Amino acid sequence: MFAKIARFEFRYQLSSPVFWVSFGIFFLLTFLAVVTPEIQIGSRGNTHVNAPFAIVEILQIFSVFAIFLMTAFVANVVVRDDDTGYGSIIRATPVTKFDYLFGRFAGAFVAGALAFASVPIAILIGTLMPWVDPMKVGAFHLNDYLYAYFVVAIPTLFLTGAIFFALATATRSMLATYVGVVAFLVLYFVMNALFSKPEFDHITGLLDPFALGAVQEATKYWTASDRNTLLVPLSGIMAENRAIWIGIAVVMLGVAFWLYRFQARASGTDRKTKDAAEAPRAASGPLPAPSFGAAATRTQFLRWTRFEMGQVFKSPAFFVLMALGALNSFGGLWYADHQADFTVYPVTHIMITTLFGAFAIIEFIVAIYYAGELVWRERDRRTHEMIDSTPVPDWVFVVPKIAAIALVLFSTFLIAVAVAIAVQTVKGYTQYELGHYLLWYILPETLSATLLAVLSIFVQALSPHKYVGWGVMALFLVATLTFNTIGFQDRLYLYNAMGQVPLSDMNGEGKFWIGRDWFAFYWSSCAVILAVLAYALWRRGSETRLAPRFRRLPHKLAGLPGVIVACAAVAMIGSGSFIFYNTHVLNEFRSTKGDDQFSADYEKALLKFQHVPQPRITDVTLDVSIYPHAPRVETVGIYKIMNRTGKPLAQMHIRWDRDLAMKSLAIDGAHLVKDYGAFHYRIYAFDTAMAPNETRLVHFDTVLQQKGFKNSGNTTRIVDNGTFVNNFEVTPGIGMDQSFGLLTDPVKRRRYGLPGELRPPKLEDDAARANNFIRHDSDWVNSDITVSTVADQIPIAPGYKVSETVADGRRTARFKSDSPILPFFSMQSAAYAVKHAKWHNVDIAIYYYPGHPYDVDRMIHALQAGFDVYTKAFGPYQFRQIRILEFPDYAGFAQSFANTIPYSESIGFIQDSKAVAKDPEKIDMVTYVTAHELGHQWWAHQVIGADMQGDTMLDETFAQYSAMLVMEHLYGPNQIRKFLKSELEQYLKARGGEEIEELPLERVENQGYIHYAKGAVIMYRLKDTVGEDVVDRSLRKLLAQYKFKPAPYPSSKDFIKILRHEAGPKYDALITDLFQKITIYDLKAVDAHYTTRADGKYDLALTVTAHKFYADGKGKETESPMNENVPIGAFLSKPGEKGFGDSKVIDYQRMAVHSGKQVIHLTLDKAPAFAGIDPYNEWIDRNSDDNILAASAG
Amino acid sequence: MLSIENLIHVYPGGVRALDNVSLEIGQGMFGLLGPNGAGKSTLMRDIATLQTPTSGSIRFDGIDVVRDPEKLRRVLGYLPQDFGVYPRVSAYDMLDHMAVLKGFGKAGERRTVVEALLNQTNLWNVRKKAIAGFSGGMRQRFGIAQALIGKPSLLIVDEPTAGLDPEERNRFLNLLSEVGESVVVILSTHIVEDVSELCSRMAIIANGRIVAAGKPAELTASLKGHIWKKIVPKTELDAYRAKYTVILSRLVGGQTMIHVAAQSDPGDGFAPVDAGLEDVYFATLDRNRRAA
Repeated sequence: MFAKIARFEFRYQLSSPVFWVSFGIFFLLTFLAVVTPEIQIGSRGNTHVNAPFAIVEILQIFSVFAIFLMTAFVANVVVRDDDTGYGSIIRATPVTKFDYLFGRFAGAFVAGALAFASVPIAILIGTLMPWVDPMKVGAFHLNDYLYAYFVVAIPTLFLTGAIFFALATATRSMLATYVGVVAFLVLYFVMNALFSKPEFDHITGLLDPFALGAVQEATKYWTASDRNTLLVPLSGIMAENRAIWIGIAVVMLGVAFWLYRFQARASGTDRKTKDAAEAPRAASGPLPAPSFGAAATRTQFLRWTRFEMGQVFKSPAFFVLMALGALNSFGGLWYADHQADFTVYPVTHIMITTLFGAFAIIEFIVAIYYAGELVWRERDRRTHEMIDSTPVPDWVFVVPKIAAIALVLFSTFLIAVAVAIAVQTVKGYTQYELGHYLLWYILPETLSATLLAVLSIFVQALSPHKYVGWGVMALFLVATLTFNTIGFQDRLYLYNAMGQVPLSDMNGEGKFWIGRDWFAFYWSSCAVILAVLAYALWRRGSETRLAPRFRRLPHKLAGLPGVIVACAAVAMIGSGSFIFYNTHVLNEFRSTKGDDQFSADYEKALLKFQHVPQPRITDVTLDVSIYPHAPRVETVGIYKIMNRTGKPLAQMHIRWDRDLAMKSLAIDGAHLVKDYGAFHYRIYAFDTAMAPNETRLVHFDTVLQQKGFKNSGNTTRIVDNGTFVNNFEVTPGIGMDQSFGLLTDPVKRRRYGLPGELRPPKLEDDAARANNFIRHDSDWVNSDITVSTVADQIPIAPGYKVSETVADGRRTARFKSDSPILPFFSMQSAAYAVKHAKWHNVDIAIYYYPGHPYDVDRMIHALQAGFDVYTKAFGPYQFRQIRILEFPDYAGFAQSFANTIPYSESIGFIQDSKAVAKDPEKIDMVTYVTAHELGHQWWAHQVIGADMQGDTMLDETFAQYSAMLVMEHLYGPNQIRKFLKSELEQYLKARGGEEIEELPLERVENQGYIHYAKGAVIMYRLKDTVGEDVVDRSLRKLLAQYKFKPAPYPSSKDFIKILRHEAGPKYDALITDLFQKITIYDLKAVDAHYTTRADGKYDLALTVTAHKFYADGKGKETESPMNENVPIGAFLSKPGEKGFGDSKVIDYQRMAVHSGKQVIHLTLDKAPAFAGIDPYNEWIDRNSDDNILAASAG
Repeated sequence: MLSIENLIHVYPGGVRALDNVSLEIGQGMFGLLGPNGAGKSTLMRDIATLQTPTSGSIRFDGIDVVRDPEKLRRVLGYLPQDFGVYPRVSAYDMLDHMAVLKGFGKAGERRTVVEALLNQTNLWNVRKKAIAGFSGGMRQRFGIAQALIGKPSLLIVDEPTAGLDPEERNRFLNLLSEVGESVVVILSTHIVEDVSELCSRMAIIANGRIVAAGKPAELTASLKGHIWKKIVPKTELDAYRAKYTVILSRLVGGQTMIHVAAQSDPGDGFAPVDAGLEDVYFATLDRNRRAA
């Protein structure tokens, strides 16, 4: 009987649209995630899309969404028979409760699981698609799919099915069950947030019903090679997790069995209503007659609108969607102020930017779902014949449906904003900007979502069935995404494409809203046409055929509807023409694909010139006129060039950025021989060859500007308030190199027939030492930069200000360097507040947006501390001034130019330092970044590396080292752990995503996770092992040898050579491990016990295990014997926790540690609470959370 | 006056639901009698502007129904064969809602109309209950109440008595007869009594064609002397069917009584009987079946 019931149920579910719709949706989403690089679910990098790890990850993430799917299937089982009244018939048959209940659960569960099988099937089919990069696809192993499906996904589906089966049994209500689902998810996310600290990783790993935590814990430090080859082991935490949750699922089924009453519920007896006896008012005289004027129609319209609203707002689905939306936005908003390692104020523009990302899917679902529901509701309720034979014009049905959806959407956005404001309030940020929420978020998003709803209504009006309409809309979304990836990006034909406005406190919506609003107008006109057509083709009565409706089209369009269509068409054509003029005539239309093609062609035509000898620039004079409101930058410049090649030069190559217009270009005694046109590359021939050491002048006149608005990629560099351009954007360079304009993504490179990897010269290539990392056409240069801007803004460029004048509404300032500097200049302009300070004779100035005073003093303090530390450790500062200048949140970096540091508002000016101080996990990013950038004044602006492997070690790694010194200086050595840990985690997590090859530090190829993250940890361990004096002396020697010197430029080899010499032979192996190999450790504290001695001291026995590995570029590791002195510590409180400080350290010393397990003995003055190996995480330890243990007596 | 000329309705898939139907329907109750699937509802829906016929014309008091459905809807009352309700909506609210849609924009007028109709249909006491909880009869009474809003001059009721118990059916038919005097009422049904009790004129529809039309009395008169009855053993029924044109057989007190159509006395123990409307209906259907 059980099997029969299960089989029946399975077949029933299979024939329901829910099955096919969910199968389709899950298939589609997975397929898209696999085949389009733009949609990313889970990890990427060198991990194959079908790596066992990736399959598990995708299945897990979808199993969270599948909670709705499983509930739809299993709860339906419980609720269905009561709804249809069929229950009593079935209960009259001789079926046992067990067979009935679990037979049906089994059938529904298998159907749900089968629908979910669409996910692995979609991965499999996705990997077979011809356009997927073959390098991203590993070999096919059926076992990987089966494992992920049966071991990871099925238990999760079983669990969620069982839980909500029990809930549906208890409540007998679909709505209540869905409310339970939402509550379950809220609880899940809240628990995850509460237990997000690494020390809870194990417990959250066990208690995660989706096993996301368990897999994460089990694979924390897997490299790409591990991810591509290993199955997540079904042992340890993973096995425990699965066992726990299968157990809970079985208990839940038991609960359902216990709760289920196998009798029909007594149907509610009709209650006598009190007013039943109330007599009707007697009608006096004849009944009034209907009227059909405008007034009646208006009433009909208002009534129908109200009715539509009531139907929507009172429906369970609305609450579920709103709850989901609120939940979704809350998840994002609560963490909006948490940047990776620090906390910012939850300012409005950050909240809105978060909402843009978090809410997008919900609004699509609402618009498409409700369009289907509303258009088909009369038919679904079978009231259509009654309603449709009334004398109501069709538009009275159509317009309220649009209005109702618009209002629903409006309320979703309103709820999101309410959540955002609540979060701001809870976090203590009370500068509410309601106007910004309304204008930047609610109105544009409501409009955009409504346009989608109108399209959806139009599609539903033509569709023969609701599901067909939904399907068409799903295809529309897919097409929109696909069109984008295959290069169809013109917003003139992508319905509802308006572009998102980047937001910033400094610059508000800038001018970005102009283009957005034109597109909004254009597509709104289109939507009006669609709405009128939806009206004209409205399905009324029992008519399903399209032909009769099309026949009536002219008749229905006659009169006002036709006039509206005509007006909308005129508006659409008019605005479309204006948009076309802006996006195709005033500006060049570009698509990603076109850009990639351009870059590929550029490389094929020009990279061959990269070794052609060229003269070098020795002096730069620039006159840069910034017109922030135009937006335009006009640059007139003169280069003094010199032939330093030692041989006569016949030709000179010159190139400039693709966006830059060259108005005139003249080279003394040279004429144009070849012009590469759009590539902005020219070859000039000297009339008489340029003799060695001869100097000449190059005159140029350029304009960088944007006229009107673009289809996409409007300039974020020249803006109303907060212009920041650099010299590469506004001036030409000499000769070809790899620095800009080339494709770097290996996938794209292969697609365009280029060598897969674009890599710098090898460390052994001494010829490469002729060029520095910044640019090949200059060494150190003299600069004379005049910057002008509007009178109410401050213009700034590197150098000392020698004059400033205001005339004709423009402010002009001239900046000169008194000694040669790197040819790398920033030109900025904004309405700044300025705070001045001093460090000895150095002028410090912070130029900031007046609304962001929060961290200005902290920056000044960091600069002063930096000067204290660096002048002592490295040598004198070469300038008399240092300036930090805020720029808008269109980019999130800070960058060091000579004595000038542009600094993004998002990382430097809204840090909530109080929150950071309270949270032991967070670091003082403002001080850290400021110290890092100041470090570059030595490491880049005094010594610059040769453009080859290892170059960024000489600036970024050393700047990181400098910053670590400042942090240690300010916070003490015992607090350095969190900086090291933060960097270590970044390194370990990023290695798995490496696209090309992980390299040892000395060969780093501009890889951030190596030169920043690993660099910081390595330099700190080096300093702690060989002594700061040795490291600093080595750095000073490097400076002495190369400071301000032209070619040959130093490489990482030069530093390592000095270091070996200074440190002595006993550190040779260490230096090799740190700089020349990829060395990974696994240090772990296993046990810590102490006993009290007779003399009142304590004997600590600390059991540790240690291993050391060397990894290759793909992450493959080989163990190597370890014999090193590793710090061992005993503490009164746990390092990294709140309250930890110098006074909590009982003992901290280096002791010999070898490979394998061993017991280390310490004699202590106080009873230790915690003890551990490498407690401050100086070693590159693949699991840095197991280094410290609570110590116990006995 | 409703005049239908050469109406043809072909559904997608080729089903010819109406095949050249022509009818003239004047004031009073008009019965449209036909078995399930004969095309009754298709004809009703075509007249009620819910679908467009493939060809042919429908005119009502100068309105071209096919071209100007909007005009007809102003004078139309329609009770669909089958209609659903919105969840959580009471009879009063729904009727009020329908009154708005039917052109009662002013709240006061609307209340008068709605309350009068609730009274007339005897739904006053349950007006605040959700229609979803109504019995079949109450639901049909609600259906006629909404159809009567605004005193339509064309009232179409499609199979209104199907599934009602005798008492509810009586109550419903009485209600209909009250309003049926001054306007055009088309009642479609497959129950002969509905027509015989109420309608002054009628038509029989089968396979999409009008196979008979006229006053019920005239139609029965045309069969006078052609219908014969006999009580036969149940076991011999098939034999009789083979031999005679059996138009009707029914159990009377455990025995089988058959009516056969014949121009003259068939003998064999048959006795003449006065033809009723039922005989007309079944004889017509039988004739039509044989012709097909």
